[in-house]
Amino acid sequence: MTTITSPQTNGLGQFFKNNRGVLFSIAGLIFLPFALTLLDGQSIGSMLANESGLSKFYQGLAIEIFILAIYALSYDLLFGITGLLSFGHAMFFGVGAYLTGIMLKSFSWGLLPIIGLVAVAGLVMALIFSIVLPRVKGITFALVTLGIAQVFYIVIQSREMADLAGAEIGLQGVTPPAYLNPVEQRLRFYYVGLVVLFGVYFLYKRFVDSPTGHVCVAIRENEDRATMLGFNTFYFKLVALTISSITAAFAGAMHGLFHPIIRPGIASSHYTIAALLMILMGGIGTLDGAIIGAATFKLLSFYLEKWFGGTSQVIIGVVYIMLVLFLPYGIVGTWKLRGVRLRDGWRDFLQRLKPSQTNND
Amino acid sequence: MDNKALLHVNNIHTFIGQFHILEGVSIHVPKGKIVAILGRNGAGKTTTLKSILGLTPPSQGSILFDGQELQGQRSFEIAALGIGYVPEHRAIFRDLNVSENLKIAERKKGDLARKEAFIFDLFPDLKRLIQLQGDHLSGGQQQMLAIARALVPDNKLLLIDEPTEGLAPVLIEQMMAAIRQLSAETTILLVEQNFIVASQLAEDYVIIEEGQSVKAGKMADLVKDPATIRRYLEAA
Repeated sequence: MTTITSPQTNGLGQFFKNNRGVLFSIAGLIFLPFALTLLDGQSIGSMLANESGLSKFYQGLAIEIFILAIYALSYDLLFGITGLLSFGHAMFFGVGAYLTGIMLKSFSWGLLPIIGLVAVAGLVMALIFSIVLPRVKGITFALVTLGIAQVFYIVIQSREMADLAGAEIGLQGVTPPAYLNPVEQRLRFYYVGLVVLFGVYFLYKRFVDSPTGHVCVAIRENEDRATMLGFNTFYFKLVALTISSITAAFAGAMHGLFHPIIRPGIASSHYTIAALLMILMGGIGTLDGAIIGAATFKLLSFYLEKWFGGTSQVIIGVVYIMLVLFLPYGIVGTWKLRGVRLRDGWRDFLQRLKPSQTNND
Repeated sequence: MDNKALLHVNNIHTFIGQFHILEGVSIHVPKGKIVAILGRNGAGKTTTLKSILGLTPPSQGSILFDGQELQGQRSFEIAALGIGYVPEHRAIFRDLNVSENLKIAERKKGDLARKEAFIFDLFPDLKRLIQLQGDHLSGGQQQMLAIARALVPDNKLLLIDEPTEGLAPVLIEQMMAAIRQLSAETTILLVEQNFIVASQLAEDYVIIEEGQSVKAGKMADLVKDPATIRRYLEAA
């Protein structure tokens, strides 16, 4: 009998069935640049040659969403799945972005060694955060991480570092490699972003469904109970923290490649709050919610600013309050919960139809 | 001392903050038996279980489990030696469904696949409610899930705290049947306020009063000793 364990022995067909919505979204995003080109009346040839137009503009917006979504996914793994509230997450993103910019501009490194360096930096940052991991929990951990991240934020803005990091103005004049130049090779950048985003998404899904992922969820639910089951929770938190920090650093590296100026604001606490907002809007701990939340966050701020200019911040604030009031579990969370409630309600109803049988047993 | 005992708790003292909660508790749990810890509210029964598991580490005394000293080891190390803990108040993961609650307890890959048939034979309700969230289960079902979770890994000893607390009589019967069936597979140290339940399940008993183990022996003898029952177990 394999009631619980049988779904693990699924094949490719089961994978398609389980991820139908995501796979449709990926297919849609693959064709999006072409659809926009046709809508704009532009020729496919000129779009493929990266000429300006509606398609190129929206590719740029989509790339920003992809980068934010990878960043939000990394925060969802840390906070949504493992329950570690960090206020210093923007440091991971900032380190990835600044390292990429500095190595390209000041040291003329190639992209491959930079990717390696960013991964090592992600690991080192996770180890720095992990020093306090066994000692502090909850809001204390959040405040310690905020403190560490603020140190980095101050350092990159310092006058002493101005030659390398550009102080408060930001790092300018970074030339990305020609084969991944966001202006000349926008379409290629778009597809690279798409592949990285959904690569991270499926890796994360796999992780959450693994025995290690299950323990991370148990830690979020109740760390003491996870300990009682025989798990050294420190190691599991460290694994989640490391994966999360490396991912966020990669998202930062993509940001560094895409944006002409790397501003220090991306390492500030505002940017951590942005990650929190994205997963709150999308649905904490759902992974899908991180992507939906990042898209909602970016599109809302883009269009509201376009339509309302300076007053858009007030409207965005009101929209956030409405979302929290009416969708307390986020977009994906509320959607899933409604499904679960309907199904549970139906099961309860069926159970109530035959109570006498169970009583007589 | 019984040489076949799986667990020897020898004169442990436990402090919680500045309070001296356990002031000398000794328990011997023979392999394959059910031993009940009895005593009034606040006597130190739950603290004894927590001290064995290292959740409230004792400051004095020794705890030998299967020949190994548990004193000084951390909770997750003690649990991983093969001690399953079912805390009072049905400590399940309430936001997760039945299936996820069981999967989490796997210590080695394949634990659940091997134990699934046994668990669902013991608690058929859980099989029916496999996708239901922990929060939506009834009290009895939550208690069944808490015990089932402790059965997923290969545990040699189960510490079960108040398994029948707050359950309807028909569910108490079910729970007792399940624990009896379990004792064929594993050794059980049980904390139970309900003396009728404890007397029908356990072969041995230990009475704890004001943090000290004051009496121990065969349950069959205790049942015939109303003076001791009145002295230690009835409302003061």
